[in-house]
Amino acid sequence: MYIIQNALKNVVRNKGRNILLGSIIFAIIATTVVALMITNTSDRIIDEYRGQFGIEVTIERNTQTFVDMRQRGEAAMGINITNEQFIAFADSDLLQRSVIMNSAMIYSETVTAIGQTGELAAGHGFAIAPTMQMHGNNWEDFTNGHRVLVVGEMPVRVNEVVISEELAELNDISVGDTIRLYGTVMEPAAAMGFTPPVYDLVVTGIYFCAAESVGTWGSTTMIRQNEVLTVADTMPGAAIIARYYLRHPSYIDAFEQELREKGLHPIFDVNTDEHLFNAIVGPVEGMRGIVMTFMFVVLILGAIILILLSSIAIRERKYEIGVLRAMGMKKVKVALGLWFEMVTITAICLAIGIFVGSLVAQPISTELLAQQQETAQNIQDQFFAGREIAGLSRVVNDDPITEINLTLGIDTMLQIILISLLLASAAGIAAISKITKYEPIKILMERN
Amino acid sequence: MSILTLNNVSYRYDGTKKNVLKGVSASFEAGKVYAIVGKSGSGKSTLLSLIAGLDVCTDGKILYGEKDLKEIDRDSYRAKGIGVVFQAFNLITNSTAIDNIVLSMQISGSNERDKKSFAYGLLERVGIDKETADRKVLKLSGGEQQRVGIARALAHNPNIIIADEPTGNLDTDTENDVLKILSSLAHDEGKCVIIVTHSKKVSSIADEVLGMKDGKLTSVNQGK
Repeated sequence: MYIIQNALKNVVRNKGRNILLGSIIFAIIATTVVALMITNTSDRIIDEYRGQFGIEVTIERNTQTFVDMRQRGEAAMGINITNEQFIAFADSDLLQRSVIMNSAMIYSETVTAIGQTGELAAGHGFAIAPTMQMHGNNWEDFTNGHRVLVVGEMPVRVNEVVISEELAELNDISVGDTIRLYGTVMEPAAAMGFTPPVYDLVVTGIYFCAAESVGTWGSTTMIRQNEVLTVADTMPGAAIIARYYLRHPSYIDAFEQELREKGLHPIFDVNTDEHLFNAIVGPVEGMRGIVMTFMFVVLILGAIILILLSSIAIRERKYEIGVLRAMGMKKVKVALGLWFEMVTITAICLAIGIFVGSLVAQPISTELLAQQQETAQNIQDQFFAGREIAGLSRVVNDDPITEINLTLGIDTMLQIILISLLLASAAGIAAISKITKYEPIKILMERN
Repeated sequence: MSILTLNNVSYRYDGTKKNVLKGVSASFEAGKVYAIVGKSGSGKSTLLSLIAGLDVCTDGKILYGEKDLKEIDRDSYRAKGIGVVFQAFNLITNSTAIDNIVLSMQISGSNERDKKSFAYGLLERVGIDKETADRKVLKLSGGEQQRVGIARALAHNPNIIIADEPTGNLDTDTENDVLKILSSLAHDEGKCVIIVTHSKKVSSIADEVLGMKDGKLTSVNQGK
């Protein structure tokens, strides 16, 4: 007990030296508090983002690979991904989620498409050219707010659909009405007697559409208000569009391996849509990287300075240690007293450091995030320049994380306390290791 | 009855071949003042550090009662068995006089309930009043520091008091006071007081004077 009492008295007695040590410990702790608060909150945000959205996988035909393989006789024309493969690909533990959508070109004898000026006629290789599109399970625009259901309900069963306000008004269609649509048949197939699929559909809702129609090329099928939306099972034979979302970008190689084993042809490339992910969480990850680097630099430099200072402080106190040893105090007790002094100084600095660090963490993170966003935006602007048609322009519709609300959680507190204890112990051990070299007789003889 | 016995004690410093102490034998009894005299370099202070348990002899034995100092816990011996008064005082300088005494009692594991009161009493006995006792050691005069040093040596009530040139830094009046205290400790309280000194005045209070030359004990004379 007297060791602790004596250590506490020594903290006050040697206040000049201890203020110097304390200043360094405070600087390290305050920096660590800021860094850990930002890091832990960033991690949580990134994890939440991943959990919510995942990382989208793109499966694209590589024309160059196809040409190369065709020249070598390893690939034939007409290689595609079948609907069964799309569905099989979705069965993977590496995926956070998957969305299986389908789509069909359609026309109708009773529903006039917006922008349709003449009668139905053959065209573009079809026996009757399509005037509209029907999408199954494609609800993304409702999620991002580009479409809003204004009347009725969303389709949940086969043969239920929602249509746009414009299409409903043009054709005087109300919720509960039944409409007949036809799928398309290519002219050669029609000549062989194939007939188009017939869809008798109940309108369960009408939506407002704010989604922009990009590059209609004079076709009414490209007008977004002409899209009839239903569940995928309404069109069992229609071409599938699948979207796969990985749990983590690093799983891409393992996922590609799975797809190859499930029959994905080598002419298809498998990639992640990391640019989308980076556009949203990139600034946060960038900021996290900066503060972590800064924290490690401060920790390493701080620890070195602290150890050096402690060693010097102990050298200055070797006479005192010699006297204590001459009085019969055991080495372990001397060491314990010195360690407790360091822990006391650290505890005081910890309290002040946490308080000050908590105050300055939010403005620092806001400033850092703003800088990171600017950098990320510049990179995105360069990357997406001229690529809007490829569909990548939708990234601009996903807002990057612009603000994080820092909180000092229990985990952060524990990490800070652990780091502080380690620092105190490192400095204490550096000092204590010196004590073993100080035999009282030598110290006292030197003094005399 | 011998309280401390030196049996053929020799000592050489690490890395040297020459013995600074060569087969010293002597015995010390309770209730007596011993003076160890000799020229500088004769080995007096080395002998004192061995007796104080600050170092161990290279050859021979130092027996505390019947226990060899080499075989016992010398930290405990220094904390409880002996009290050392140094020429350079060797107090904790950034601490108060009273704290020095209390700390010594705590290290020795003293059972005294009110250690501070006991320490004030001890300091008063060596001529340090309460006001002076509460001052930092650095603000005390040399004589006052030596008195504090003596009080600290007595704080744990040891059987043996060792003093290395205890009056070397003191004026004549203070020297007399310190010698009176040391003499009283032996003759009134039954302690064994061993003083290393150059001073004839100090030797004059000794019951026995041990002369040293070139690391050897050359003479043992009855003092006073």
